[in-house]
Amino acid sequence: MDTMFPSSDPRPIFVQIAERIENDIISGALGEETQVPSTNEFASFYRINPATAGKGVNLLVDTGILYKKRGIGMFVAEGAQSRLKTDRREQFQHEFVRPLVEEAAKLGITAAQLREMIDKEGTK
Amino acid sequence: MTSVIEATSLTKRFGAVTAVDSATFSIEKNTITGLLGRNGAGKTTLMQLLTAQQYATSGTVEVLGATPVENAATLQQISFIKESQRYPDDFQPRHVFASAPWFFPNWDAAFAERLIADFRVPLKRRIKKLSRGQVSAVGVIVGLASRAPITFFDEPYLGLDAVARQVFYDRLLEDYAEYPRTVVLSTHLIDEVSNLLEHVIVIDDGRIIVDEDADSLRGRATTIAGPASAVERFVASREVLHTERLGGLATATIGALGEADRAEAATLGLELAPVSLQQLIIRLTTGESTPPAAVPAGTEQRA
Amino acid sequence: MTTTAAVAQPAETNEYRGGLSRVLSVARLHYTNKATVFTIPALILTGIFAVNLAIWAIIYNSVPVADRGDVSEGLQWSGSTFYIFVYTFVIAVQAINVTFPFALGYGVTRRHFALGTALALLGLAAVYSVALTVVASIERATDGWGFGGRMFTAIYFPANTWYEFLFVYFAYFALFFFTGAFFAAIYSRWRIIGLLLSFLGLAILIVATLATIGAAQAWGELFAYLGALPPLGFVAWSFVPTAIAAVAAFLVIRRATPKG
Repeated sequence: MDTMFPSSDPRPIFVQIAERIENDIISGALGEETQVPSTNEFASFYRINPATAGKGVNLLVDTGILYKKRGIGMFVAEGAQSRLKTDRREQFQHEFVRPLVEEAAKLGITAAQLREMIDKEGTK
Repeated sequence: MTSVIEATSLTKRFGAVTAVDSATFSIEKNTITGLLGRNGAGKTTLMQLLTAQQYATSGTVEVLGATPVENAATLQQISFIKESQRYPDDFQPRHVFASAPWFFPNWDAAFAERLIADFRVPLKRRIKKLSRGQVSAVGVIVGLASRAPITFFDEPYLGLDAVARQVFYDRLLEDYAEYPRTVVLSTHLIDEVSNLLEHVIVIDDGRIIVDEDADSLRGRATTIAGPASAVERFVASREVLHTERLGGLATATIGALGEADRAEAATLGLELAPVSLQQLIIRLTTGESTPPAAVPAGTEQRA
Repeated sequence: MTTTAAVAQPAETNEYRGGLSRVLSVARLHYTNKATVFTIPALILTGIFAVNLAIWAIIYNSVPVADRGDVSEGLQWSGSTFYIFVYTFVIAVQAINVTFPFALGYGVTRRHFALGTALALLGLAAVYSVALTVVASIERATDGWGFGGRMFTAIYFPANTWYEFLFVYFAYFALFFFTGAFFAAIYSRWRIIGLLLSFLGLAILIVATLATIGAAQAWGELFAYLGALPPLGFVAWSFVPTAIAAVAAFLVIRRATPKG
């Protein structure tokens, strides 16, 4: 049952788990210095093997996004949100802007027209 | 990591039929391993060899460092639930749940009660009169509530509908997370369980063809699709598991692709899609197995 | 979402409880379903007895009063006595055939299963013997239920006192239980072919024995010997085939594997 993890995403599950946690941190759902759910809770919720959930969590511990308080659990590190946002900006260029520009080029949309379209959406 | 099960060149022959052919593998402690393969591939026979229900023709198996054959101390650590489990005549589920604790020291009665409610098993009806799903549920409940350090499930959920199967997976995960143990789960419903598995062993025609971590296996193959000529050009130098053609279009299942390869495929106008565990195993076993006509009659019930 | 830091408890390898515990658990397993070992046999026996009672009443009442003593004589050859023991055969067969693969599923070794089953069957033989001794005593006390009927004290039970009855019943039950266990074990391991071959083998053995006795003109001696035996001695001899059947069943089941 991969309803949570569509097979269209080729990346390993634990990477996708890490990404979801990062998304929650960026959106503010998981605030800094708050406790994140335990590995077992992640495993239950996403219906995956606890070892896989553990790998995903450890990935974020390695990158300093989460840290462990012994005997209590995992917490979101200070400054994690802003750090993630910065990292994501670089990804944003590669993941969204480039395909946008390429697709626009295919359709013969000029840079000026593209800017108009962006303004129409309105950045929030 | 310690291994709790070690098989070396394990072989089982039934007359002229080789059900398990020189299987060598090990199972790590406190992991969930999927034993996957087609019907008749040898899954049940292999599990029967590991639990000393069948005697090996040759080769050895060690469970917790000793042979399981007639070894009461080792067998007490194992629970083996098979889909074709038969119960004594006139037994009702309550008899099963009353007797199981005598044999499984880790039995959790409260957990069993919750499961009985979850699966809606009628306790006082004769097992002969239960539906297939309810009989499977009885077996599943014993397997879960026994909390045996080594728990085998041999396609235990045949007859369970999709909802009940999901209940089984959920309860298994929850309990495994809280009380880790070594679980070996055989199935041909691969996609349903693929996210539960940490390790995967695939058996085909009695032979082990895959023995890997689930994560590395998931990324192992990619499907590409597009104009036949482009596809052919792209796969020319690569290992191809499977191809299909429809007029001028073709798809091919090949190995994992790195960034550069993906870019190349994109420029050729090819579409990429990851291959699910189930599709991968289908491809791996379809290619190498003998066509049904060549398999001697009687092999089908071997696993 | 709750944020407890759950500490996972491994399902640690548990302390081996020892052979005796496993054997006793197997014996207990055979008694789990009271219906199979108590209720149903009791019902069957009651049914057969009721039918017999009715027949005796009919015979007794249709015979002139003067001859009623003869009726009792004739009834001592009761054929229905055999039915008391047929079901024990069935119980033994079920115990081995279906409970065996089930017990294997519970992680029981074949050795412990054999010992536990033997214990269970002996226990059943004891319980049944006690129950039937009581019934037999009632039969004698009521002089054949008022009709001179003899189902439980038929001629096949060479006993007079209650402890003699107990001994005889126990011997017969044990014989049927373990013979049944033997054939069930054969079937467990070698299926129909094994069963047929063992019947054949047994038949050949019996015929050969009879032929040897006949060839040696030893019938006279045999009957003289048997006639001179105290009746209980004859019954005591039945423990020999019982023991042989039990040991044979044990050896056969040692390498049996569950089928299907």
